[in-house]
Amino acid sequence: MTDNLKSVIEALIFISVEPLTTDRIKEALPDAGEAEIEEALRQLIDDYANGPQAIRITPSAGGYVFSTKPEYDVPVRALLQIERRKKLSGQALETLSAIAYHQPVTQAEIAAIRSVDSTHSLHTLLENKLIKIAGRKEAPGRPLLYRTTDKFLAYFGLDSIDDLPSAEELKKLMEQGNG
Amino acid sequence: MPDERDPRPIPEESGPAPAGGNPGAAIDGETPAPKTPAAPAVPLSAAAIADDPEAPAPAAPGEGYQIKLPAFEGPLDLLLFLIKKKKIEIHDIPISIITREYLVYLRDRSLINIDREAEFLLMAAILIYLKSQTLLPREKVADPDVELRQRNFDHLLPIERIQAVAHLLRDKEEEQSQIWTRSTFNAPLPDQDLDLVEVSLFDLAESFFALMKRKQKESFRVIKGKEISLAEKTEEIVAALKSRGVLDFLDYLWEQESLEDALVAFFCLLELIKARIVLAVQEQLFNTIKVWLRREAPPEEAA
Repeated sequence: MTDNLKSVIEALIFISVEPLTTDRIKEALPDAGEAEIEEALRQLIDDYANGPQAIRITPSAGGYVFSTKPEYDVPVRALLQIERRKKLSGQALETLSAIAYHQPVTQAEIAAIRSVDSTHSLHTLLENKLIKIAGRKEAPGRPLLYRTTDKFLAYFGLDSIDDLPSAEELKKLMEQGNG
Repeated sequence: MPDERDPRPIPEESGPAPAGGNPGAAIDGETPAPKTPAAPAVPLSAAAIADDPEAPAPAAPGEGYQIKLPAFEGPLDLLLFLIKKKKIEIHDIPISIITREYLVYLRDRSLINIDREAEFLLMAAILIYLKSQTLLPREKVADPDVELRQRNFDHLLPIERIQAVAHLLRDKEEEQSQIWTRSTFNAPLPDQDLDLVEVSLFDLAESFFALMKRKQKESFRVIKGKEISLAEKTEEIVAALKSRGVLDFLDYLWEQESLEDALVAFFCLLELIKARIVLAVQEQLFNTIKVWLRREAPPEEAA
């Protein structure tokens, strides 16, 4: 049964262009038990990770998606005619980090952290859909609030925002780095 | 200077004098009024002019629109001058009456002197500005730095920690840049947006004409005899693509110095698209057309 279930889940993930969540899998397979699905999924991921295939199943933004293994980067780029991937600027990354840890956050707060103007970075990040506007703060001036998106998670290969070190872990990490 | 303290009674006292300043006569500047228009204001303006060489010369008879108010009679430039010198209290000058009567004056004229009326408008605008300044409460300009400090930002992480996260994200980005999914999901930047729609010549042309319309509205430029070479422009575009990676088609044309530059740039872009050196695609969501190099120059790559 598990083997069959594994294949079914494999098919479901295969046809999903965006990460397929466990909830969606459960919806599609109402007869299968929750624990069964999770076990099959875990095995499936292991099979791909340890198998000879060029692709694997990656947890991404709360779901699962097929992706190529890093060693196939060069031929894939050759096919797509992409010289090299564009990277976010240091400014944009810093702004993004500030948002990730304080969301929902206002531009004034980001400015207070970075002590430089973040307007341009915010624009770039919004344009690339790595952040989104999540309403307005109930404060004087009703400033816009920013949040990271699922695309942010996927872009950095994160399953959820909790994959980032917590503020305390970060502190420890830095102390180690300095020590 | 007692005569300047309260200018209002003056026109009344010199009752017969402003008779020529009855609305009809004052408004119709072409009537060769025997009195100089500045005359009604003489008690006031003469004194002001006397002790100030900068004062505007009294207007010649029949020249332009004359203001006739309880507080002041005479040409607008004189009024403005006196207000600036604080010889007349701007609160005593009802601007709505001046503008209303001026419009009547303009309407009744068959010919107007553009220069003179333009000057009037300028002065009227200054007058309105000055008055609005006195009427509106003064707002203190908030110092953003002070404001920032006043708010409580204690809960925010120090920048060092945020920078550490940025480093971490940079590593993750590097890792992820070698991993490809079937969507372009983890590829936000235009290089990877390959599911975008490649645009047709008509889309380009349509955008271009829309742009040109906008540009024409902006300014009327005389076509200069400047020669713009196609080859040079092409190089310029390729260089811009190399340095910037991706160009917004319209923005790029919009940046061009002149209409001719934009036209040449447009043709060069078409050539580059035709030669399959660059790729033009349209993001359906925003309808902007983006252009980027398909790859480095083919000969180099073959080598």
